[in-house]
Amino acid sequence: MSEKLSDMVQLMAQTSRGDLDSFERLYSATSPRLYGLCLRMLGSQHEAQDVLQEIYIKVWHHAGEYHPERGSPLTWMVTIGRYACMDVLRQRRGHQDVDDLKNQLRSGAMEPQQAALASADQKILDRCLRELSEEHRASIQLAYFHGLTHGQMARTLGRPLGTVKSWVRRGLDFMRRCLER
Amino acid sequence: MKPDRYERNHALAAEYVLGTLTGAARRRFETWMLESPRVRRQVWYWERRFQALNGAIPERRPPASVWRKVRGRVDRPGAGAGAWWWPVGGLLAASLVIAALVFWPSPPASQRFVGVIQNSQAEPLWVLETHAEDGRRRLSLQGVQAGAAAGGKAFELWLLPRSGAAISLGLLPTAGEQRVAALTDPQLRILRRSRTLAVSLEPAGGSPTGQPTGPVLYQVRMITL
Repeated sequence: MSEKLSDMVQLMAQTSRGDLDSFERLYSATSPRLYGLCLRMLGSQHEAQDVLQEIYIKVWHHAGEYHPERGSPLTWMVTIGRYACMDVLRQRRGHQDVDDLKNQLRSGAMEPQQAALASADQKILDRCLRELSEEHRASIQLAYFHGLTHGQMARTLGRPLGTVKSWVRRGLDFMRRCLER
Repeated sequence: MKPDRYERNHALAAEYVLGTLTGAARRRFETWMLESPRVRRQVWYWERRFQALNGAIPERRPPASVWRKVRGRVDRPGAGAGAWWWPVGGLLAASLVIAALVFWPSPPASQRFVGVIQNSQAEPLWVLETHAEDGRRRLSLQGVQAGAAAGGKAFELWLLPRSGAAISLGLLPTAGEQRVAALTDPQLRILRRSRTLAVSLEPAGGSPTGQPTGPVLYQVRMITL
């Protein structure tokens, strides 16, 4: 992702006017991020590629709806991508590999990553995630990256539904206060 | 549950973005989003906030076949999305639109502000971005598609406090050019509190009085995360 913000904004504007060359540059600049996200969420190359295709069709047709309150063009596109992956995960409802998720939790694979080149936003979010209790953090990450509902989370974590709901609610409340500190 | 219950809606917006708001509650919330700009902004807040979670995910370049398929589906003349939507402010003297965004991702020391100014033809004119350099906060002004002002005049950028006189942030550059302005701590505090910038048309070299003398062409209500 080497495009500057001003370039991205311009590419998005030109894409909304049907400029295919700009759309291709936008794709080239952003698709590795989106493909990485889809692979992480879906765990299947085939599905990730299908969803990636649909994301960019959506971006092409809805580029005119982008506006800055959605964040940077990349933030907006990642949001579209994540909701698209969530839809796929929800269609798999009941087919989530609970054992695999449990293993990931046990192995620490869901722990916040300390990327050397992490952005300031990432570092702050990581810090807030680390300050969360283990249960609160796990519930937020299971929902965010794996599209788990409260019920699926309760089954995965082996805890009552009410407890899990409370973890999510309190975790988010803490995150908001932490992020605004 | 009423859409104007700010705190409760913030919690619902967070669960909406996280994906744990499901079923009828999710659909009801989506209706509120359609009806209420405030609720939409709460959702966008969480979308932007959680965006940083994705930054730790390794990038992977997709196979070329994906682009070929996308291209095959969109490669029709005029198949784009049409005019770029942008919220229109009520105070514009010209038929121009300005919009801006502010990232408010961090404690004061690392706040980053970003703004985009564009016209009604959806052309981004300037991108404004704060950054830290040598421990000092600076505002970079990048001309994207901004032409020179007609009649030898210039576009001047102003910081508008909640009360009191406007503060000049200097002249805006034309397309392809960049100017970096130093921001003092008091200016940063004003920016954080008022979230408002304006652009006026001034004589070459800028306002001779230190206050806007020409028409204010754009005014921005910045948003914060």
